[in-house]
Amino acid sequence: MPTAYHRLNPLTKMTVAAAGSVAALAVGGYVVPLAVAAAMLLGASVAHLAGRLLGLSLLVSLPIAVSVVLVSVFTRVGTTVLFSIGPFDATLQGADFAGQTLVRLLAIALSVGLFSTTTDPRALVADLERRGAPPRLAFVALATVEAVPTLAERARVIAEAQRARGLDTEGGLVARARGLLPIVGPAILSSLTDVEERSLALETRGFTRPGRRELLWSVPDSARQTFARRLLLATLVVLVAAHAARLV
Amino acid sequence: MLEIRAATYRYAGVARPALRDVDLALSDGEIVGVVGANESGKSTLCLVASGLAPASIGGSLGGGSLVVDGRTMTERPLHELAGVVAIGFQDAASQLSGVAATVFEEVALGPMNLGLPLVETVERTREALAALRIGDLAERRPTQLSGGQAQLVVLASLLAMRPRHLVLDEPTAQLDPDGSRLVGQALARLAAEGTSLLVAEHRTDLLDRICTRIVVLDEGRVVATGPASDVLADPRLHGWGVEPPARVRLASEIAAAGLWSPPIDAALVEALG
Amino acid sequence: MTRLALERVSFTYPSGVRALADVDLVVEPGERLAIVGQNGSGKTTLVRHLNGLLRPTGGRVLHDGVDIAEERVARLAATVGLVFQDPGRQIFAGRVRAEVAFGPRNLGRRRRQLDEAVDGALAAVGLADAADANPYDLGYSRRKLLALAGVLAMGTPVVVLDEPTTGQDARGVARIAGIVASLHAQRRTVVASSHDMRFVAETFTRVVVMRAGRIVLDGTPEAVFAEENGAVLASTFLAPPAAGLVGARLGLGSTPTERALLEALGARDAGDD
Repeated sequence: MPTAYHRLNPLTKMTVAAAGSVAALAVGGYVVPLAVAAAMLLGASVAHLAGRLLGLSLLVSLPIAVSVVLVSVFTRVGTTVLFSIGPFDATLQGADFAGQTLVRLLAIALSVGLFSTTTDPRALVADLERRGAPPRLAFVALATVEAVPTLAERARVIAEAQRARGLDTEGGLVARARGLLPIVGPAILSSLTDVEERSLALETRGFTRPGRRELLWSVPDSARQTFARRLLLATLVVLVAAHAARLV
Repeated sequence: MLEIRAATYRYAGVARPALRDVDLALSDGEIVGVVGANESGKSTLCLVASGLAPASIGGSLGGGSLVVDGRTMTERPLHELAGVVAIGFQDAASQLSGVAATVFEEVALGPMNLGLPLVETVERTREALAALRIGDLAERRPTQLSGGQAQLVVLASLLAMRPRHLVLDEPTAQLDPDGSRLVGQALARLAAEGTSLLVAEHRTDLLDRICTRIVVLDEGRVVATGPASDVLADPRLHGWGVEPPARVRLASEIAAAGLWSPPIDAALVEALG
Repeated sequence: MTRLALERVSFTYPSGVRALADVDLVVEPGERLAIVGQNGSGKTTLVRHLNGLLRPTGGRVLHDGVDIAEERVARLAATVGLVFQDPGRQIFAGRVRAEVAFGPRNLGRRRRQLDEAVDGALAAVGLADAADANPYDLGYSRRKLLALAGVLAMGTPVVVLDEPTTGQDARGVARIAGIVASLHAQRRTVVASSHDMRFVAETFTRVVVMRAGRIVLDGTPEAVFAEENGAVLASTFLAPPAAGLVGARLGLGSTPTERALLEALGARDAGDD
């Protein structure tokens, strides 16, 4: 069930994600990234996705987070030593740096995550085209999005055919590994030959025709959202400028 | 009017020409059938007629030309033919665009790409789906269609473009007899509305019902051309690897067995139409 | 020699579509069985149960009285070889030979046995001269023959063909009919799903008619295409082959094959003398 947040224009959602990420990245510290994170979680809760988004973001950032912590805590130049493991000193400055990096990471993950979990790529592409992006761009973007499930489906069909010819894909690890080539090979090959045939067919259906087109997919936008987007971007600019000024 | 003049087509890197000195003219409202053994050049002829050969697939047309509604197409960009000539290939699945989430979107893509107003796009899509009786597939994902369904969806997407000339390479290959009959009716209606059609097929029974003229290809050459009933009764069809329609085939077998008589001939016509 | 049995087999796709409903079918070793029905009647779903590609949601599938539920598809491939309708999706080798060798190699054939299997299969489908060609250089119909060769080379006691004649010209259809006959001569079982009623009547000795996931007729072509089954057949949107229609028209009883029609005509004429 699409919530109010889902129903926002894709460009609005994209602006929110971009503004949040840039703010967290450019300004740093603790306050701004945590504020961004909180704002994204607020948006997520409107979309009934808060729990899922948090879990997803933590999962995605975990590998980087672990290496950041390990490296920074022990190698940043610092004066206050918290504890030592062998020749390595864990410093307060290191911990502080790690902390700031982690909240930045979290803010960005939440920003991008909120956007991608509430936005249908089709809607985004359609909206961009409505605003003047060339139709070919739309096609490439959508085809890319569809490419993975299409390839997966194709691989499944091929796996079936090869199993019916005696290829054992359900046996031990070695058997499964050996079984991959007769599936991966045709999957890629047939995708490539398909691309050729498909692009021929598409030419005659007007995909390369220059000029605008009226799209089947209508995406709502409003003056309020346009204003909100501009306000958001203006705030971002002011924030970044102020931060830069303080530094100087 | 769609004309192919003196077409000798060679695929890139292949010595033997796929088409030799082929002339073909398609008038508005005509349905011309193309028959011949596999590898006789039927598919190549379809590619040339639609402008895809040589423009998109390379190879050379050797001095011949394609003239569509009075304009020579061989030096023109291909997208100018969109909406004028549409082509359906043998393999239906590879013609689905891969960007449509539903069958409805898939069929609507053609009219959309032509820059039509939304209202007209929707109307044409609905009509095309209704003409082939696949309205119930409208919300289905294109990747989940059976071979026969995909073939009908592709045809619907071509119909939605309302091309002046329609080239079809084995449009009923994966359809059951009922589906084949349905397509035949849809094509006949199109022709009645002024579209010219070129249909390459093995099913001579279908061509017998809908074609005004038939062209026979053998090793890239036109070896016979004329009114459908004449060509389909030609005793040389077998030698060219073409199965005559049932009516013709049974009549000749009955005659060969010395059992022919006018009442039998009448029965053949009545039973097989 | 393997006896196949479907016991009250039902199958519902994950999407909720019920494709098979309580199907009971026994295929004796060496039979030539054709399964006919509209698109969507369950033909393809049924044949995919024969080699375990699909597992019934109700009922069971038996090979020689043993439930195959626990057996892997790759193992069942040694018993039942299935030729898919669409050849394109499985080709991976760069050479026709290697492609055909894939199946028998998986089944453990090596060296001379393997070569003989491959050569035999290529000869049977008429691709011996293309043994070193790239499969993608073959046209669609020859690729279908290649897929058939790939299964023939496996030497399975049961061969299942899903729509073997679509896309084939007259010679191709005749070749496939010849292959069915030679498989029968080797006492191997052949099961085929098809739209081509003529091919079915002329090549198979048992016909099963499906409608909406159930078997509605089962018998010899003479029995199934007889006039008294006309209403049932019509309800599946199928019609008897041309020879049968003509025979019915002339009041000659059920003559689904051309030979039967000619014999009946000859007998009638002889009777008239």
